[in-house]
Amino acid sequence: MPDDSPQADPDDDLVARARAGDTRAFDALILRYGEKLYGLVYNMTSHKEDTHDLLQDIFAKAYHSLPRFRGQSSFYTWVYQIAVNMTLNFLKKRKRRAGMSLNDLDSGVLDDPALIDDAHMANPEKQSNLHELQKRLNEAMRGLSEPHRTVVTLFDIQGLPHAEIAKILRLSEGTVRSRLHYAHLHLQSLLQDYWEE
Amino acid sequence: MKPSVEQIQNLLALKRHEAPEEGYMEDFLVEFHRRRRQEAVRTTGLAANWQRLVDWFSNVGTSRKIYAGGLAYATVLAALLLAPRDSPELVQPTVPVRNEVVPAKDKAVQQLEELDLSPASKGQTGEQEF
Repeated sequence: MPDDSPQADPDDDLVARARAGDTRAFDALILRYGEKLYGLVYNMTSHKEDTHDLLQDIFAKAYHSLPRFRGQSSFYTWVYQIAVNMTLNFLKKRKRRAGMSLNDLDSGVLDDPALIDDAHMANPEKQSNLHELQKRLNEAMRGLSEPHRTVVTLFDIQGLPHAEIAKILRLSEGTVRSRLHYAHLHLQSLLQDYWEE
Repeated sequence: MKPSVEQIQNLLALKRHEAPEEGYMEDFLVEFHRRRRQEAVRTTGLAANWQRLVDWFSNVGTSRKIYAGGLAYATVLAALLLAPRDSPELVQPTVPVRNEVVPAKDKAVQQLEELDLSPASKGQTGEQEF
C-alpha cells in the first residue's frame, strides 16, 4: 500500500504530469490502481458488468476532477474516496430498481481460479468445502448493510489500515472500528448455521 | 458453533486474490480512451460548460452546498427587502385642503408700520425744507 504521508506520495510525479495533460501518466495511474479498485467495486456490487461500468465512470470522474485535486490527501486516498462514493451511490440506485434480483449477482469467488488454494488442490473434498464456504461468505457479505460491507471490504479484503479507511470514508477511526466490530458479529451469526454442519 | 472473527477474517483475506482476468486492464484502457474521445465530440461549446458546472457541483461537499444555498437565499431575501418599489405604504395620505387663506402682509406695509409717524417727530426726523 502506498505511503500516505504528505511529503512522500509516490504518485506525485504521475499526478503532476497527468494534470499537465499527459494522458500516458494518467494511464499509468489507472494501471497502478485499477485492479485494487476493481476488487473494491466488485466486492461491493457482486456484479462484473456493473463493476466494469462503474470503474470506467470512477476513472472518468478522477480524470475530469484532476485539475481540482489539491494534494491535501494522497492520490490513492482521493481516488478511493471517489470509488467508494460512486459505488455507494450506485448501490442506492440499484436498490431502488425493482427488477434487480439476487440471481443477477455473480457467485463471485467460485468463478475465480486465483482463489483456488494450492494446498487444497490435491484434495478435491477440501477444495469443494472451501468453495462452499466462500459461497456462504459471499451471501453473508450481501446480508450486511452497505456501511458495514464497505468497512469489511476495505479492511478485511483490501487490507487497508483503520486510519486509511477513516480518511477514505471521512469518519473517525473509532467509528470505523465500531462498524467493523458489528459487521464481524453479523457475519458470525450469518455463517453460524454453516459452521455447525 | 459460531466461527471466530479470525476464521472469518482468514476467509475474507482469500478474496484479496480476486482479480480481473489477464489482459483486462489493457482492454479497460482502450475502452477508457474510446469513451473520452466520444465524450470530447459530444461535449463541445455550451455542453462542455454545462458539464464543467455539473462536475464542479458534484465535487462540492454537502456542507458547502448548504452554505452556498443559504447564502443565495439570504442574497435574494436582501435584494427583495432593499429594492425600491412603489408600495402603497410609501404614498402620503391625502390631507384635506384648508380653504381659509391668510394673506401675508405686504413688505411695504410692514416698513410703513415700523416708521415713527407720531406728531412729536414731525418736522424733526427726516424733515427737509425746500
